[in-house]
Amino acid sequence: MHITMQGIYKAFGTNQVLTGVDFELKEGEVHALMGENGAGKSTMMNVLTGLHSLDQGQIFVDGKETYFKNPKEAEQAGITFIHQELNIWPEMSVLDNMFIGKEPKKAFGLVDSAKMKRLAEEQFKRLDVSLPFDKEAGSCSVGEQQMIEIAKALMTKAKVIIMDEPTAALTEREIQKLFEVIASLKKEGVSIVYISHRMEEIFAICDRITVMRDGKTVDTKPIPETSFEVVVRKMVGRELKDRFPKRNSKPGEIVLEVKNLTGKAFRDVSFSVCSGEIVGVSGLMGAGRTEIMRGIFGLDSIESGDVILNGEKVTIKNANQAVNHGIGFITEDRKDEGLVLDFSIKDNIALPSLYSFAPKGIIKEKDEKEFVDMLIKRLTVKTESAETRVGDLSGGNQQKVVIAKWIGIGPKVLILDEPTRGVDVGAKREIYQLMNELTDRGVAIIMVSSELPEVLGMSDRILVVHEGKIAGELPKETATQENIMTLATGGQ
Amino acid sequence: MRKFLALFLTLSLVVLSACSMEPPAWAKPDQGDKKIADLKIGLSVSTLNNPFFVSLKDGVVKEAEAKGIEVKVVDAQDDSAKQINDVEDLIQQGVDVLLINPTDSAAISTAVQSANSIGIPVITLDRSADKGEVEALVASDNVKGGEMAAEYIVEQLGEGALVAELEGVPGASATRERGTGFHNVADEKLNVVAKQAANFDRTEGLTVMENIIQANPDIKAVFAHNDEMALGAIEAINSSGRDIMVIGFDGNDDALKAIEAGQLEATVAQQPDLIGQLAVQAGLDAAQGKKVEENIPAPLKLVTIEE
Amino acid sequence: MKANSEVLQEKKGNLLQSVTQKLGPFLGLLILVIFVSVMNPSFLEPLNILNLLRQVSINALIAFGMTFVILTGGIDLSVGAILALSSALTAGMIVSGIDPMLAILIGALLGAIFGAVNGLLITKGKMAPFIATLATMTLFRGLTLVYTEGNPITGLGDNILFQLFGRGYFLGIPVPAVTMIVTFIVLYILLHKTPFGRQTYAIGGNEKAALISGIKVPRVKVLIYSLSGFLAALAGAILTSRLNSAQPTAGESYELDAIAAVVLGGTSLSGGKGRIFGTMIGVLIIGVLNNGLNLLGVSSFYQQVVKGIVIIIAVLLDRKKSA
Repeated sequence: MHITMQGIYKAFGTNQVLTGVDFELKEGEVHALMGENGAGKSTMMNVLTGLHSLDQGQIFVDGKETYFKNPKEAEQAGITFIHQELNIWPEMSVLDNMFIGKEPKKAFGLVDSAKMKRLAEEQFKRLDVSLPFDKEAGSCSVGEQQMIEIAKALMTKAKVIIMDEPTAALTEREIQKLFEVIASLKKEGVSIVYISHRMEEIFAICDRITVMRDGKTVDTKPIPETSFEVVVRKMVGRELKDRFPKRNSKPGEIVLEVKNLTGKAFRDVSFSVCSGEIVGVSGLMGAGRTEIMRGIFGLDSIESGDVILNGEKVTIKNANQAVNHGIGFITEDRKDEGLVLDFSIKDNIALPSLYSFAPKGIIKEKDEKEFVDMLIKRLTVKTESAETRVGDLSGGNQQKVVIAKWIGIGPKVLILDEPTRGVDVGAKREIYQLMNELTDRGVAIIMVSSELPEVLGMSDRILVVHEGKIAGELPKETATQENIMTLATGGQ
Repeated sequence: MRKFLALFLTLSLVVLSACSMEPPAWAKPDQGDKKIADLKIGLSVSTLNNPFFVSLKDGVVKEAEAKGIEVKVVDAQDDSAKQINDVEDLIQQGVDVLLINPTDSAAISTAVQSANSIGIPVITLDRSADKGEVEALVASDNVKGGEMAAEYIVEQLGEGALVAELEGVPGASATRERGTGFHNVADEKLNVVAKQAANFDRTEGLTVMENIIQANPDIKAVFAHNDEMALGAIEAINSSGRDIMVIGFDGNDDALKAIEAGQLEATVAQQPDLIGQLAVQAGLDAAQGKKVEENIPAPLKLVTIEE
Repeated sequence: MKANSEVLQEKKGNLLQSVTQKLGPFLGLLILVIFVSVMNPSFLEPLNILNLLRQVSINALIAFGMTFVILTGGIDLSVGAILALSSALTAGMIVSGIDPMLAILIGALLGAIFGAVNGLLITKGKMAPFIATLATMTLFRGLTLVYTEGNPITGLGDNILFQLFGRGYFLGIPVPAVTMIVTFIVLYILLHKTPFGRQTYAIGGNEKAALISGIKVPRVKVLIYSLSGFLAALAGAILTSRLNSAQPTAGESYELDAIAAVVLGGTSLSGGKGRIFGTMIGVLIIGVLNNGLNLLGVSSFYQQVVKGIVIIIAVLLDRKKSA
């Protein structure tokens, strides 16, 4: 299938999102689409698949002018969109999720579950996924849910597949599998639009790249004819010096130490973090990294083991105690666990430190506002006012609000779980810079991340978790992608 | 400490002196003199989900229309709190006399008192009020009704017949009065061999009657303090296969159907429309400053298959 | 590039929207008041306004508590039953010779304890609020009937303070209305000016995020259901004084009136959004409807029809606004 989009304009109310985009997708190519958050990538694809109508411009499919009325029509024509926000029905089984709205029927309109299983089995084998079909989708990890979505898309016999940040929640191994699948799809003549923030991936698998900025296409080039730096420069419209700002690490005393911590999803975990240090925690999805952090923070119960804070043994049974001990937790799912989306920026930031503004029971709004404004400025949250609803901010700005909220409690230890997921390059760098500032002031940071370059670029020390245990500890100097992956997959 | 106590006491006194049980003078409505044709009647009914009270309301409305007087009707839906609000709203509309059919005798007291404080005469219908000044209570003459039932049995079966009595909720005024009336006659002319409470309930009427038949197989008639119990008793009698005459009280729809079907011998029917009618007459007299009887009995009617 | 005037226009639009959003219920009340007073001028007479304030006070107290509960995303169906049970217990205490004011205080505290039972079932027992309070509603209702044996408790004596509590006037304003206004002010400050209030909203907005932010979610919830029970019992005390007796069936379906008032006031049943001022307006709308329709001589059957329609219209308008 060959698609051409010409001079596409689209506005939401007075907000002009697309201002004359051109895009071409050839048959059997993997075409990367890059741009900062809000550049219009997803909107352009939604216009193509008929979710949004266009204001101006033309779309040609195989040379014929074609406009889809809705995504269903596009899907029937062979264009499938795997969205970044997963369309998972959490109470339904994995199998039912894969066939929602297109269940194969047998006599009397009954669902043909044998056929469903056979079809699903085929795709799972192809993707090397081993998930029980009757598992509740809501209890699958985000990565597993992503794989379900991908398997679902493969079943539609699509000629064009649009993937929006497909690897954001996947482990290295799952990513490799996905890439293999993409390569074989390409051989079959399927075209793929690959939207991602991850440079390494794009340069590894894509044939061409289109860079967008402020609702326009800036450039389209074959991958061999461009480079990492050029793409970044075109994307942000300015030079970005280094991806990772320089760290001056001077680790001090041990602040947090865990000894033989054992919980439902992990056992015998021991490690420590010093003040001013960033400890990276790597491992495959589902290895138990998040669960260890939730255990330390008191969200999940701990079966045995000790948490030692500043040399004293402490019991943390709930998040309130953790916060009172000066521990902050930036969770991997900011919309579900990090933010009250309907709250203003101010109310979100002030949430964990409310009592410090209310020495006599009544919140002193002036103090609160000054404090919040200071943090907004320090974290360069882009907003007109502190009263803006957090749900209206971009992903990167939302993440900054979550971080601001925890900086507000004056933490001694900060746990960051996937701190830059779904955040654009510019904001990423700002977040890294912030981590450096915090460690300069003596905060101990534990950073859980699935992005290996991030772990390597920012950590002073790297812990690798494999099947609920610490498989190894690597100092910054000797750590490489290879030796991390070896530990993460159970090698020695 | 003593100073604080003194302060506290003074404060409480000041606060208390600012309190009163009467609405402030500036808020009281004007009560001018009015002609009789201009009088307005307010009726507060306990519920309109019961045919008895619907007829009672119709009685009031019909009588008032006949006299060319306006009536405002409010329905408390069996909620005593709502009834107090309703009465206040009626007072607000400037009614000259209040006819109240209370949901509960104790709960209505405050509403009667508010009417008293503004000088609006109150007539209660069917049930009385515990407190406050009520000009008159219009209610069925339950004592007379009990007597009528006993006399009917004597008429039909002759003196000395063996009879049973199904009583209502012990202590309730209807139970007391209907029982008294019945015994006024029955103690002399009949032989009451069984007397048990079935709490005005149809199911209990059934089980209690079964027991009575078991113990006294020879009874010839039974008097129930209401129709519900009478209808329960009929079931018990039918399954025992005996021929026992049943007489109920109230005259509700089910009972009248049972009489038509030849199952129920008779019922002492209340006449709610008549209660309404009498209440309007008493109310108008009271509004004109005439003296009215404190207890106005509404006559009852014995309904048999002939009627 | 957007023209400046366009931006200005947009801002004006937003302002207008936020004004209608905040004042929507208030405008509704105003229209209703104007309509009723044109149809029957006696509506605006001072005595009627005082009556109205007294009439709404009971529903107001219950609806204030319900506002907190609904803001956390919960519901409390047991308030009517708590009202009846605490009213019966209070009356029982008074009859047995305990000082009436002390009895009212103990009764209100008992109400708080009944509410805490709800809170514990929901937090520790992990029950859905609807189910938990449906169960306790039945339970408390049953206990009331057991305690009163189905009969009203009367003979509450003639203690003047007790009578003032439900029927008296303070500086010309009905005491229940004074109680309502004082409670409103206290709760307004609690909801909008204290950490507790902010946490209430946060729990309704995103309970997981609230928990991770260190908020003691279970504790806040238990306190809120206790508050709801306490206010229901306080409303019960007013009712006991007004009726000069405790009725075993008191407060039947009061929970629905309270929920209606909260919803009319613009609070979202899914939690996190709404204001107690809106609830006050919602309570007044229902009160004006009850009082006004009586004054207009509308039959009680039609009154229910009208109330139902008003709720539907209010919620539809609310949807439209937020869309």
